[in-house]
Amino acid sequence: MTQRTGELFDLGYQHYDGPREGRARARKAVFFDGFRTTLGLGRGAGAKVLPMLLFGAAMAPAIILALVASLSDGQLDLPGHPEYYSIVSVVLLIFAAIIAPELLCPDRRNGVISLYLVRPLSITDYVAARWLAFFAITLLLVYSGQMVLLAGLVLSASDPLDYIKDNWLDIPRILSAGFLLAAFITTLPLAVSAFTDRRALAAAFVIGIFVISTAASGILTGCDEGGGHRGGGECEPITGDAGKWLSMVDISRAPTYVNNMIFDADSGDPRDRLNAELPPIVPIAWYILLTGGLGAALWLRYRRLSV
Amino acid sequence: MSKPNRTARYNTGVATLLEAKSLTKRYGQTIALESVDFQVSDGITGLLGPNGAGKSTATKLFLGLLKPTSGSAEVLGEKPYESLEIRARLGYMPEHDCLPAAITASEFLTHMVQVSGIPPSQARTRAADILRHVGLEEERYRPIGQYSTGMKQRVKLAQSLAHDPVVALLDEPTAGLDPGGREDMLRLIRRTGHEFGISIILSSHLMGDVESTCDRIIVLESGHVTEQGAVAQFTRETETVLIDVDGNRDELVAALAGRGITATVDGISLAVELNDDAQYDAIRDALVESNARLRRMAPRRHQLTDIFRSDES
Repeated sequence: MTQRTGELFDLGYQHYDGPREGRARARKAVFFDGFRTTLGLGRGAGAKVLPMLLFGAAMAPAIILALVASLSDGQLDLPGHPEYYSIVSVVLLIFAAIIAPELLCPDRRNGVISLYLVRPLSITDYVAARWLAFFAITLLLVYSGQMVLLAGLVLSASDPLDYIKDNWLDIPRILSAGFLLAAFITTLPLAVSAFTDRRALAAAFVIGIFVISTAASGILTGCDEGGGHRGGGECEPITGDAGKWLSMVDISRAPTYVNNMIFDADSGDPRDRLNAELPPIVPIAWYILLTGGLGAALWLRYRRLSV
Repeated sequence: MSKPNRTARYNTGVATLLEAKSLTKRYGQTIALESVDFQVSDGITGLLGPNGAGKSTATKLFLGLLKPTSGSAEVLGEKPYESLEIRARLGYMPEHDCLPAAITASEFLTHMVQVSGIPPSQARTRAADILRHVGLEEERYRPIGQYSTGMKQRVKLAQSLAHDPVVALLDEPTAGLDPGGREDMLRLIRRTGHEFGISIILSSHLMGDVESTCDRIIVLESGHVTEQGAVAQFTRETETVLIDVDGNRDELVAALAGRGITATVDGISLAVELNDDAQYDAIRDALVESNARLRRMAPRRHQLTDIFRSDES
């Protein structure tokens, strides 16, 4: 019999007899979809611009510091690993405030969430996968910056090996402080996103929280005339002894205070110094309470979701 | 390639797909379903009832989206509210919007198939195949936001079928469609049920949709099952013929009454309930006897409300 080529056959409907990987595959799919959404992959060029810009803005300080450090041969007292996170945290917060709601709001607004919930996936799986996706990207971002900075500092040192020997403790510090910063920066905007279907509203709310809490804390811990300034002497806050407690009103600095403790560093910022007067357990507990509380709010909100 | 046991177990030898046992669902004081019992087997089953009858609640109970207040909703002997695994073999097409606007149908389906547990390489093939079956082959690389209502409904149907479920629950699949689109959708559903071998639960308040598509029917009203059986038997019992005549209408009513047929005045028409086809002959004879000029005689498809009105009388 001669074989003819170039013919098309409609085979009709084919049943699927291949592997079914259930919940594990479902979790992975939601995680990678969150990852792609955050970076704007699989969408139009417009969706990629913002993540790339913010990514660039977060990396820029590390690259500049690394370059300056290598050109100055260690002569200048430049901001290093302890300060990097507080320098980029503003950019990271904007990045998270604008992009994180994209992971949760549209699914509820478009009703896609009801299609997830009838698949082999619990609501906790869904929220956890989304959280992890954004956390992974934030973590990648903060670690990349620190690694660029580290590379710059090591290469510009007169003896790179000695530098590593003297400063090896920076590596676990970078890892742990970065982890805590990424967890905070992921949880807050996602928790806010659980309470509104509108991305813009969630983003505005998150940025609003930072602006207002930073301003409020700035006023409450403001120094008396002639008091200390950045890098200057001691600061006497207008609220007196309560000032060190009121430094915690600034929600955006909750991870920074813990960061300073991890690096055992003095940033010179008056609010950081005030906060450092508190027993160490207080800023740590505040960080855990904030991040844990927001995480719980996110989870509970989804647990009660009705579709 | 060996067939996984799970698939074999679900696809063969299971007589009852869905079973409601004393199924009750209350929202506070409101009763959505009250101690409902029914079974659904292979084929296309219509879940018929007016808005608020409990159709959507029943559908969501079988999908595991809701927890029964008491009793149970089982799919293939398992409770979807407790078993995530069984959900991999269920399909759901909601009544409301459930599609993202920014991504393409191909991308969306590939993703949803993976969320149903199928690995990425096979997911892409499944998505492409099912989009071809629902007639969206050409448009599959366009963002869903640019689709017409009819195309969106087909994407919604496609996502409920792409992972090859044992049974798909479709909630008002013709909502918002024009008559042509509605007929296309019902034809697709018939094909799915009969050619693809995927059983269907079609939830609708439109008698016409259920009558033309389903093999069996379960009627829900105010949270209770009021009727169930094969569609053929059900619709024969409720078929109405509308007769329009020019003059001599009262004579025609009398002539029909003489043959044991009750005709009621319905607007400008006479409505006659038909119990069997032989009555067409009787109507013809009555028309001749009363010398009424026939302008139109046509079957009227019952709306569900008519069925309930006649039940009450």
